Amino acid sequence: MDLRVPSGWFFTLVGLILIGWGLFAPAELQRADLTTTNVNLYSGITMLVFGVFLLLLAWRAAARSNA
Amino acid sequence: MSGRSVPVWITSLAFIAANLGAVELIGMAASGAKYGIMTAHFYWLGAIPAMLFMGIFMMPFYYGSKARSVPEYLKLRFDEKTRAFNAFSFAVMTIFSSGASMYALGKLLQLVLGWDFTTSVLASAAIVLAYTFLGGLTSAIYNEVLQFFLIVLGFAPLAILSVQKAGGWAGIMARLPANYTHAWRYMGSASENPMGVELFGMVAGLGFVLSFGYWCTNFLVVQRAMAAESMSAARRTPLVGTLPKMFLPFIVILPGIAALMLSKMPEMHYSLPLSANGGPDYTQALTTLMAKFYPAGILGLGMTGLMASFMSGMAGNVTAFNTVFTYDIYQSYIRPGADDRHYLTVGRVITVVGVVLSVFATYVATRYNNIMDLLQLVFGCVNAPLFATFLLGMFWKRSTANGAFAGLTIGTGAAVLTLCTTVAENNGGWLAHWHQFPSQMAQNFWIAIIAFSTCFVISVLVSLMTTPRTDKEMEGLVYGLTKVPHDATAKWYERPAPLTALVIVLLLILNVWFR
Repeated sequence: MDLRVPSGWFFTLVGLILIGWGLFAPAELQRADLTTTNVNLYSGITMLVFGVFLLLLAWRAAARSNA
Repeated sequence: MSGRSVPVWITSLAFIAANLGAVELIGMAASGAKYGIMTAHFYWLGAIPAMLFMGIFMMPFYYGSKARSVPEYLKLRFDEKTRAFNAFSFAVMTIFSSGASMYALGKLLQLVLGWDFTTSVLASAAIVLAYTFLGGLTSAIYNEVLQFFLIVLGFAPLAILSVQKAGGWAGIMARLPANYTHAWRYMGSASENPMGVELFGMVAGLGFVLSFGYWCTNFLVVQRAMAAESMSAARRTPLVGTLPKMFLPFIVILPGIAALMLSKMPEMHYSLPLSANGGPDYTQALTTLMAKFYPAGILGLGMTGLMASFMSGMAGNVTAFNTVFTYDIYQSYIRPGADDRHYLTVGRVITVVGVVLSVFATYVATRYNNIMDLLQLVFGCVNAPLFATFLLGMFWKRSTANGAFAGLTIGTGAAVLTLCTTVAENNGGWLAHWHQFPSQMAQNFWIAIIAFSTCFVISVLVSLMTTPRTDKEMEGLVYGLTKVPHDATAKWYERPAPLTALVIVLLLILNVWFR
């Protein structure tokens, strides 16, 4: 098993959920005492990017071993 | 363990992930708040050099010898009694390690769910027991790598937000006492820095004994490299692991320092909870910080990551306790030659016993305001003398079984005696009060130095008085009688020497930066 595939999907999915929550959930559910930054949105974007990056690496490796 | 076929990038990440569970995360943030940026030496001075040494010099023995555990190597190289003693002290170590995790998980449940401490600890014990019986350790390596990513991605935002809120690194440097933000400058004498250690204690205690003892003899860690696809890949595992390792302090230690800064800024309304003896409870720095900075959403993800990591960490320790007790003690000395079903039943009973003992260990942990202080104390008593035994066993073929046994027992005894005759904060000194250490960590470093030196000297003296084994018997077990591979034909980044040089340059830059 290529570990990059399950980890890639995991972070893509978690990233999308956090982005969706960060964009659409009501503000009073997303309050934090010491920051006004939309932590969910930015963390979600980072995780999505990382997840997609892992998937790309895995697909490239799979394509190479098939060729 | 999935045989010897795992790629190097995975074994390398698993190698450092084995040492980056929830308890380390919480313990390092706690140490950041208690001792400042000097805590980074647990990485720069206290891990990287030992990891390099491990990859270059020690891995050939581990990967090459047929030993599957540390007690087993001791049996092959020395004898049964040395192995039995080590199996026993290793069992004690796993109990305290899982007890420390259970304590921190209990504190987390207490914080999140509002239960009292006893209920929280019993709940976490029940969770661990269920997790272990359900076979939660399968594909441990893959689990760990995923958890490593989750910890880095889930806690990096906390480091960024908290440091920013505390005024940025420049702001923190301007307002905190300077000895909290300099890693080297205040180490001239013990009284100048918050950890209360001088240069010698730091370099010899942490940089040499504790770190080499931990990274070179801890089989929970070494095992990860053994799964690599070849000897060359196994040697590269710790070397490649040093690259992400040296940057981890930015994620695990900076939030602790930021927490200290924030607690001194009244407008933030943030303070560390109090511990049982009245001072700040540094162990809770990370979790209280999360509660202040993370909104619902990532807060849940962070908590889930922490709990998953606690469980796998504790399950790892309880399973190791079970394995060592069942095979290295019970099967070898108490009842050899029974059928497999008998040992399986014994193993299950021992797992329950391990969890119960861990519950008792959590109450020892309540005496410490920083969980990392307790962990390093246990490493100092167990790993420090063991490292002297390994060093002599691997590199000095004259060392004998009786020498190793005498050194190991007297060395461990010296560690316990030091703990019982010196006082640090509110612990130790139960027999006498010969010396007062400025901090628990300083006491740990000196316990490690004393245990190592005692074991080393006694082993050498007794070895010289007893008869060594023949060279033939020690092939593959001792340096000079073992073939060490040369990877001269591999690409430069696959050879140990250039990789090591790169790591050292980066390490120097970091240390000069935070001097």
